[in-house]
Amino acid sequence: MSVNEQQPQLSDLPPEMLDFNILKATIPLAPRLGRLSLPGRKSILTPAFLGNTSRGAVPHISQDNFRKCTTLNGVYVALEDFIEKMPHKQPPVFQVEGEEPLRQFIALPKETLLVLGARRAPPVPSPAANTNSEVGLYTSVGFRSISSEYFAAAVRNLQPDIVVGLADIPFGQESIGTKRKDKMADRTETWMRDIIAKRKTLEKEERNFNIFAPILPIERDLQSWYLEHLVDDMAAKIHGVAIYDSFLLDGLPEELHHLPRLSFDTPATPQALLRQVNLGVDVFTVPFVTDATDAGIALDFTFPAPAKQDAESNVRQSLGVDMWRTEHALSVTSLTEGCTCYACTKHHRAYVQHLLSAKEMLGWVLIQLHNHAILDAFFAGIRNSIENGSFDNDFAAFEAYYEPALPEKTGQGPRVRGYQFKSEEGQGKVPKKNPKAYKPLMGETDRLKLQAIHGQQPNKKPEVADQIDDEALMGLVDLENMRPEEQLEALEVEDDKS
Amino acid sequence: MAPVPMPSALSFELLGKCSVTKARAATLQLPHGPVPLPIFMPVATQASLKGLTPEQLEDAGCRLCLNNTYHLGLKPGQATLDAIGGAHKFQSWPHNILTDSGGFQMVSLLKLAQVTEEGVRFLSPHDGSPMLLTPEHSISLQNSIGSDIIMQLDDVITTTSPDLARMTEAMERSVRWLDRCIQAHKYPERQNLFCIIQGGLDLDLRRKCTAEMVARDTPGIAIGGLSGGEAKDAYCKVVDTCTGLLPEKKPRYVMGIGYPEDLVVSVALGADMFDCVWPTRTARFGNAITARGVLNLRNAVYSEDFGPIEEGCRCVCCRSQEDGGLGITRAYIYHVTAKETTGAHLLTMHNVQYQLNLMRLVREAIIEDRYPAFLKEFFGKLYDDKSKYPEWAVDALRGVGVDLLSD
Repeated sequence: MSVNEQQPQLSDLPPEMLDFNILKATIPLAPRLGRLSLPGRKSILTPAFLGNTSRGAVPHISQDNFRKCTTLNGVYVALEDFIEKMPHKQPPVFQVEGEEPLRQFIALPKETLLVLGARRAPPVPSPAANTNSEVGLYTSVGFRSISSEYFAAAVRNLQPDIVVGLADIPFGQESIGTKRKDKMADRTETWMRDIIAKRKTLEKEERNFNIFAPILPIERDLQSWYLEHLVDDMAAKIHGVAIYDSFLLDGLPEELHHLPRLSFDTPATPQALLRQVNLGVDVFTVPFVTDATDAGIALDFTFPAPAKQDAESNVRQSLGVDMWRTEHALSVTSLTEGCTCYACTKHHRAYVQHLLSAKEMLGWVLIQLHNHAILDAFFAGIRNSIENGSFDNDFAAFEAYYEPALPEKTGQGPRVRGYQFKSEEGQGKVPKKNPKAYKPLMGETDRLKLQAIHGQQPNKKPEVADQIDDEALMGLVDLENMRPEEQLEALEVEDDKS
Repeated sequence: MAPVPMPSALSFELLGKCSVTKARAATLQLPHGPVPLPIFMPVATQASLKGLTPEQLEDAGCRLCLNNTYHLGLKPGQATLDAIGGAHKFQSWPHNILTDSGGFQMVSLLKLAQVTEEGVRFLSPHDGSPMLLTPEHSISLQNSIGSDIIMQLDDVITTTSPDLARMTEAMERSVRWLDRCIQAHKYPERQNLFCIIQGGLDLDLRRKCTAEMVARDTPGIAIGGLSGGEAKDAYCKVVDTCTGLLPEKKPRYVMGIGYPEDLVVSVALGADMFDCVWPTRTARFGNAITARGVLNLRNAVYSEDFGPIEEGCRCVCCRSQEDGGLGITRAYIYHVTAKETTGAHLLTMHNVQYQLNLMRLVREAIIEDRYPAFLKEFFGKLYDDKSKYPEWAVDALRGVGVDLLSD
């Protein structure tokens, strides 16, 4: 089944050419093993996941911790995180000089694969509808549209390793009419041709990029023209496909089967992720990792699942531990037994529980590092299982062993910004995610207490005191349930009881 | 009351003294390792330094940080600290910790607090029930925390208070409370209790208090009640007066000080140890401390500034990737500040490194006996013109033999 023969050897390839080696594949719509390699970058064994960045960083993981405490070999970056000031002003990232401006700007290690797309994963529906020539984006300062030409020029400038072609997908729209679907295919094809044309214009000394073609989340016959043209005209110029609905993988033309498949079909659970692996997806962005982190949930699952202690038992194990729970307050054990991540080897549950309840940012840092380690081990387990030919059984055992969904969020997370969360409504009608941080007419005492939580001293010298920027303060910690009186109540003074 | 001779869990090795000013360089040996003096101590209020892992704090060069007794008493609470075996284990920090007494927060943050001879009495804002923090309880909490340096509970009132009788009472009470703290202290052989000199801006009160406190022979001595809105020249007079009366072989800690110019002047006045939340708090608002002043990187002018936060800085953010750093630019900080928590982490690392490095340079200059020249260079960088030098700093330094305005 291997299609390796058709591919040139790695050493023959021009320096920035992506190579995808399928190491094990049985039949279409089955799990497969591969290796994604690009000279100068660490190879990625697939199935695998990319770090899902926000404004250039994996949330809560500063660039030094990314190097020291994670094993991520690739990241996904969204262009919309960088171009909010346009059209009034040239976005700063385009003014970075030298090699690989985007990589430099976000301080990504040289050996980490950089994948760029227009929209975040998952995208927040933009109130600006796509048009024949433009795609609506949602930036941190509101929505805007960019043209296909703009996108292509941005890619050329930013020099990512891989670019995900622009797709005309009306995110957030529940039902899409047939006419609209026709348009989706037509526009996506045009935009693919634009980016391919742009790539052709690259000078010899310019750094090349690899193009992943979107496969639209619509029925095959409604995008058949597009797919045919991909195969007939563009196959040699594309290096992978981006999947938005993994159940449509059976509609993928056979001529494209050798290409790596990057999924934007957001899995809500590890089980959903396994279902996609089972359909032959190679590379994922996994937004539920950061969602769990923000909710204070330390992921706790392995693949294959451990053997059931009691075969008769119908009790399923939780996929994560809610670190907000006070039962951890005295627990000096690691988040997950045996986990070798920084958080588990250096810290314990009691500290993480304290950090969450004290709203200290380090709580999310530690859980995020842990959750990425859990996911990394999960994917290693998947690859082993495929290798051993036991994936089907392991998948079934996993579903039987674990609860079908991640635990419900109970505690407060960091403040969520408009560009970060997914709206269920779509159509630009965004529900209020963050209740008002300040209650109106907050009393002086309350304000002092609130400031106290942030270490602000009321008697600060006025001439040198910082400007307290409420927005910045609120931006990092969600305070709407901050009730200092609750904390004060917890202060036990021994002398008081007598 | 005859002072009880007190064991000490530290040793103070004086390495050098400035031949002009009162500045000193020393090494302070504490239970969790040596620390260089003069020193700036970052404040990890709730057993965490604003998003940094203990390793990141260590990498920035920190070997002594603060925890706040008031906050740790609330969360995680004394029972948890006892069960886990203290704050070092709790936050996995292998180096030294200093804790305050909790009194400052009580009084300054809770308007409802009332100080009596027993302790600080306050009404729980939750249900109005009376609560009390005594010297004994403060020490008990700090014993549970296990910090390397613990502070006595003192009667803190704002330095600008015009009520001399109240100021005198507070000073005298602080002395009595020190005796109670010494009595209550369970682990003098592994935790160093520092007294705190009170007396507001009244130099006579400060002198009296200093004499009383010095007689108690605690391992270290703090000058408290400052950094509360008083004029800077009055602040300098208090520090200068107190250090003039202190024994040479003990560390001197001025509480709540952290602006770079305050640090270098206070060192010239003979102080060794400082703490302040400002460097780390201000980082969260996008403010970067540099030798040329504080830059607010949220200002749009920095959005296209692709230089490091500070040229020549050795922090992990500012060093280039070729130099083992990250090569973070001002433009990137602008891009993430107040939008991603990582923006706060990066700038916090820079600011901590700045403060610690400043003290390292101060120390080197003292050891090489060129501190007056260092001071001139420092102010020369911070202000583009001598006419902008703050008067209080010029006056205070003139008082210890350095004329910033001369060439």
